[in-house]
Parts: sequence; C-alpha cells; structure tokens
Amino acid sequence: MKDIERDDKLIAAASALSTEISPDRDLWPGIEQAVAAPKRSRWTPMLAQAAAVVLLVGASSGVTYFAVKEEPLVVQVMNADLRFEQTAFGAEQTLGSVYRSAQGDYQTELNKELERLSPEVRADIENNLALIKDAIAQIDLALEENPDNVLLQELLVKTYREQHTLMRRVGALTQHVMVRKDI
Amino acid sequence: MKRTLVFLLGGLLVTPALAEQQVDKTIDAAANGSVEVYNTAGSITVRGWSRNSVQVTGEIGDDVEELVLERDGDDVLVKVKVPRSHGRDIDAEITVNVPQGSSIEVAGVSADIDVEGVNGDQSLQTVSGDVEVVGVSADLEAASVSGDVQVTGTGEDGDTSAATVSGDVSATDLAGELEAESVSGDVTVAGGSFDRVYFETVNGDLIFAAELRGGGRLAAESVNGDVEIDFKGEVSASFDIETFNGDIDNCFGPEPERTSRYAPGLELSFSQGDGDGRVVIETLNGGVSICN
Repeated sequence: MKDIERDDKLIAAASALSTEISPDRDLWPGIEQAVAAPKRSRWTPMLAQAAAVVLLVGASSGVTYFAVKEEPLVVQVMNADLRFEQTAFGAEQTLGSVYRSAQGDYQTELNKELERLSPEVRADIENNLALIKDAIAQIDLALEENPDNVLLQELLVKTYREQHTLMRRVGALTQHVMVRKDI
Repeated sequence: MKRTLVFLLGGLLVTPALAEQQVDKTIDAAANGSVEVYNTAGSITVRGWSRNSVQVTGEIGDDVEELVLERDGDDVLVKVKVPRSHGRDIDAEITVNVPQGSSIEVAGVSADIDVEGVNGDQSLQTVSGDVEVVGVSADLEAASVSGDVQVTGTGEDGDTSAATVSGDVSATDLAGELEAESVSGDVTVAGGSFDRVYFETVNGDLIFAAELRGGGRLAAESVNGDVEIDFKGEVSASFDIETFNGDIDNCFGPEPERTSRYAPGLELSFSQGDGDGRVVIETLNGGVSICN
C-alpha cells in the first residue's frame, strides 16, 4: 500500500510541472546560418574513391599480368650426346655417350664374369642378351614408322633398362658368390 | 698286363664315387637368428625345424677343403670352402636344418637351392640352378640367372622379389607385394592376394590368376609375350591397356580402340567398381586378356 501511495504522490508532482521550457538564449540565428551555408562538394570523396578504384584495378591487373605472363622461351641448347631421347626415334639415332659409357662398363664387367661361368651358362646368358637386342631392334623398327608413339618409346627405354639390369645382375650374382674371401 | 690296365681304368672310373665325404655337423643356434649358407656347386637344401640348432648333413667332394660351421652370437655361417684354383670335385650336396624362426641368406654358383619351413626373411641366389621355396611367410628375394624360380607362400603378407633370366618364375599363394621378372621365361602368379604386383618379361608370357585388393596396383610389361589376367574375386580399379601389335580381350565390357589409323595398336581404358585400384598393361607384340 505504501508503494501505491508514493506513486500517486510522484504522478501528482509531475503533473504540476510546466509543459514548456524556453531556452536561455535564441538559438535560431545559428541554425539558420548552418542551413543557409553552401553544400559541401561531394567531388572530393568521389574523386578519391575513383582514384582508389583505378589504383586497385591497376594494381591487381599488374599483379595478374606478372603472375600469368609466360616467361620468354629460353632455348637450351644441349649437347647432342646428352639427349637420351634420341634413342626413341629409330635405329639410326645414336645413343648418348653417357649411356654408351655405362654400357661399355657393364659389358666389360660382364665379360669378366662370363669367363668364370661354365660354357653352358655363358651361352645361356649370351642368348638372352641377344634376345633383348632383338627386342630393341624390333621396337626401333616400329619407331621408325611411328616415331611419336609413346608406348614404343616407353617400351624401348624399359627394354634398354632390362638389358642393363641383366648385365648388372649377372655380375652381382657371380661376384656375390664367387669373389667372397671366405670361399 | 691287359687285366692290370682294365683294373686301373676301372679304378679311375670308380674313384670319383668313392671320393665323396659324408658330413654331419651340428651347432647351437638362436631361435630367431640368421643363418648364411654358401656352396659353390651342387645343391643346397634348407629345412626349418623346431630345434634351436643348425645341422649340416650331406656329401662333399674330395677337393672341397672344408665344411665350415661357425656361430657368432645370433649368426651362424655354413660354407663349403673350396680351393681358389678349383679342383675337379668341389660339388657338395648339403642339407641344412635351421630353427624355424631364422632368417637365411643362401648363395650358390652352380647349385640348386631348395628351402622349406623357414619363417624369417630369406635371400636366395644362384647363377646356374633352380630356386624352390615353400612356405614363405616373410620377405623373400629369390634370384637365378639360368634356372627356374618357384615360390610358394602361406598367404601371409610379405615383400617378394623373384627373378630369373633364362627360366620361368612361378609364384603361388603369396600375399602383399610382388615383383617378378624373366627375360625369356614365363612368369606365373597363381593364387594369393596382393596390394601391389609388378611383373615383366621380354619374350615370355605373363599370367596372373589371383586377387588384387582394393586400391591395389598391378603393372605388367612384355615385349613379345602375352599377358593373361584372371582376377579372383571382385576387382575395383582403373585400367589402362595398350598394345602396339597385339589383341586385347576384355571380359569387363568395353571394347578396345585403335591407337592410330596407321598403326595396328589397340588401347583400352576403363574403370571397374569404385576404380580405386590401378592396372597398367603394355606389350609390343603380345596379346592381352583380362577376365575374372
């Protein structure tokens, strides 16, 4: 009950207050001056924005250009002896000197190892090497007719690799067993 | 005089047979140790047994210097020692019993190698001779130059390499990863289950009749041999097959296409199942057949 009585007193006091308050000075001249003043030009920020856009577009275009532009084609002239791919274009092409050198080393080692083996095993190995050479010749022949055939190029490389693997394997096996100091 | 000459000649003929020496040596060994066996000529038979010892038995030629059997920690060495200038009778036919859990390294020159019941890793090499292994359950490397290589597994995963130059390779009931190759012989993979198979030959045929696991890889290359693939069970892989001058038979549906108007080659690319595995086959003159 006490709360209700207090509220009633507050409402009555508020009703007794004046409904208009006059400012202590005349504010209108200031307002009128502000309203009558010329509008501030919007060109300045618009130009700034436009300039920013141009700058942004230009910068991004530049970045894009430098990112996607093709490097000038640098033609590297390689020594013909280093071009192993030449083997993939027919039997008349020459093998690289590095390959020929490796081949020579393997052949020298192989010949040494073959001397250790019986005539039968030696003949067997030589027959298989001849077989691989025949396979290489077949692929070479096919490549002369189809120089851009990827399958033939792959097979040729793999068959050359097989030739080296065979030569290495014979050497490794015989050396592993026969050159042991303890035997 | 004539009888004396006949007697002497007869004696010469009989001498090599009498020259063989019987050997029987045993040494203690670790249950999971390593055993190295070297024998230049003759044969090497290795058997896994349940004892923790290594036993060597057999016959060695009269010109063999010594049969060495030594232990150094967990390693045992067996070697048939021959003179540097080989005599005419250095052959040795030996059987080596080793603890089942051993890993072994066996090498010969003109010797067959026969292994069974060894559970550890194995390295087996000979120049002229066959290699036969039964019960492979770990990593294996088996190689010959002039001879066949036959490997039989237990279905346990391992990393297997089997290679020969003049001879056939046969891999049965292996699992895991396999590399197999021959120059003039066939390579046959029968049974088993694989994550990765790579096999190649120059003039022999490649035959695969086994399971390729999900996500598995199979690559087969041949110059003049045929490739026959017969997948056991379902296969899920993308296939790329190309021949320069061979037919392609495919049970999975798609037909091969000519690689060029001017060349006889065929190519076939398709996906089977989820296509998560990969099969690549290339031949020059060989035909290709794929079924399951």
